[in-house]
Amino acid sequence: MDRNQQRPRSSILDSLGEELIGILTPVSICMFTVVLLVCLLNSDPSSSSFSSIATAAYSETDSDSPWDKLLGAFLNSLVFVAAITVATFLLVLLFYLRCVTFLKLYMGFSALVVLANLGGEISILLIDRFRFPIDSLTFSILLFNFSVVGVFAVFMSRFSILITQGYLVVIGVLVAYFFTMLPEWTTWVLLVALALYDLAAVLLPVGPLRLLVEMAISRDEDIPALVYEARPVIRDDSRLVQRRVWREQRSNVNDDDVENNVVRAEEEEEQRSEEISVPLIDSSSSSSRPETFLEGIGLGASGAIKLGLGDFIFYSVLVGRAAMYDLMTVYACYLAIIAGLGVTLMLLSVYQKALPALPVSIMLGVVFYFLARLFLEVFVVQCSSNLVMF
Amino acid sequence: MTVAAGIGYALLALGPSLSLFVSVISRKPFLILTLLSSTLVWLVSLIVLSGLWRPFLPLKANVWWPYALLVLSSVCFQESLRFLFWKLYMRLEDVLDSFADRISRPRLFLTDKLQIALAGGLGHGVAHAVFFCLSLLTPAFGPATFYVDRCSKVPFFLVSAIIALAFVTIHTFSMVIAFEGYAKGNKVDQVIVPVIHLSAGMLTLVNFASEGCVIGVPLLYLVASLTLLHCGKMVWQRLIESRNQSGPTLR
Repeated sequence: MDRNQQRPRSSILDSLGEELIGILTPVSICMFTVVLLVCLLNSDPSSSSFSSIATAAYSETDSDSPWDKLLGAFLNSLVFVAAITVATFLLVLLFYLRCVTFLKLYMGFSALVVLANLGGEISILLIDRFRFPIDSLTFSILLFNFSVVGVFAVFMSRFSILITQGYLVVIGVLVAYFFTMLPEWTTWVLLVALALYDLAAVLLPVGPLRLLVEMAISRDEDIPALVYEARPVIRDDSRLVQRRVWREQRSNVNDDDVENNVVRAEEEEEQRSEEISVPLIDSSSSSSRPETFLEGIGLGASGAIKLGLGDFIFYSVLVGRAAMYDLMTVYACYLAIIAGLGVTLMLLSVYQKALPALPVSIMLGVVFYFLARLFLEVFVVQCSSNLVMF
Repeated sequence: MTVAAGIGYALLALGPSLSLFVSVISRKPFLILTLLSSTLVWLVSLIVLSGLWRPFLPLKANVWWPYALLVLSSVCFQESLRFLFWKLYMRLEDVLDSFADRISRPRLFLTDKLQIALAGGLGHGVAHAVFFCLSLLTPAFGPATFYVDRCSKVPFFLVSAIIALAFVTIHTFSMVIAFEGYAKGNKVDQVIVPVIHLSAGMLTLVNFASEGCVIGVPLLYLVASLTLLHCGKMVWQRLIESRNQSGPTLR
């Protein structure tokens, strides 16, 4: 009896959509951790004074009128977006002048600062909240070890991929938590302003991120920015196909030797993208770029999807700020952001070039937040408090 | 009442769906995506309904007929949305089948289609539980608890978690019944799903009477077990049918 005839043939449903889940899982983990931190450490909003470049123009107080707050929030966002634009153009200039070593060293230094400084502050807040007994010497040794391993993880290319991904998510969580401490109006206007900036920076011909991506593609190098790469899915029969599509993509860009292309493809597969965003001044590339794509809807891809760490951070800031109001808005914003991410990934498989990942998700998230806050909450509380459900 | 009680209420409402998720849905990434899109669709339906009813809220406290109107309109809207959801699913099925043909893999099996319907229903159930029960659970993690006048024997959180569990069951399995009913053109299955949904919604109106939840909640569980039985019977029949159809060729 032939064994092949008795084994049931596997359905396409077994492995379809794995790459999407590979990106959705860390985004969800990051958002969930930020919401948990916000709920655990919810300090009195009026008592925490958090000054950064985002509140340089105007610091919000409770006694101002809504119009004043709106105007102040606009000024803050303008200053912040201007700072980010300048920083990104500086990054483009350095990349153009091939100062890659300097950029990498700076990124390593920024990772160290984020993990040690922000991580230390949050750990101290958590220790204080839970009355965890630990002495300062042990704490400083643990923090030092944690930060140094993190710097190596994002710096070196041959580190264990799970640890690297974990550290990238941790960096995202730390920066996002500190951004949620901005005043409320400033946060919302800033998110919308950043979504618009991302749209302009990636799609306009003079946009800095577009210039960066084009330079990186023309030189066949990786962009020096903190980018989360989902673990590439290698199916048993598709390894050959993956190499073939690599070759096709590369030969479209430059007419190199076929041998060179295959070698480059193998190198690229193993290479990891490193560096960091500047803490509290995010200049990381907020674009997602496909490595390889086979099918139209992006679910049949067998390459790795890349998502910039800035996207992680600002999704989590939106959800964290929603958590400061109520958990219902958190669920609504989470679903909106996931839907926006799915739409962006689908557009990615259609257009096959770098796309901004912030605009769709942030716009949907903001719309759903206000709809949930204004309409849904009243409706649901009315029904459930009378135990009427459908 | 404490963190333990809060987690307990959350697991009461969502425990079975969590085990369904871990055992069936998390195995196949496509089902996770179906669950997320289904939850999104039902969230949008809740937002539209709340937008439509916003001018009339807050309703008067002790009058029950505006709530009946609210439940009726919401159930009608959601059932028509379920039909549209099924139309969308049919198109998706065509896309998946042509994709399978292109990469020379087998087309969707019956179990695949049932699993997609189950994921869709679970999305509906999870959306209900999250928005009607979990989002109100935040005070339960604190030191006190809350009782409603009309159902004074049991904390409010416990009652809403129990009702949410019944509705999760109803929504999950009526989606499977509905998809099979629309696919096979079976009138009984097509009609029974809106009837179940409407009767479950109307049964919660019984909670308006003083101590009405003592009668309302067991009746709701009766409806939920009826749904479960009907779905089980229907799926069993389908599986036997398809095994008989494909049996002789496996020699």
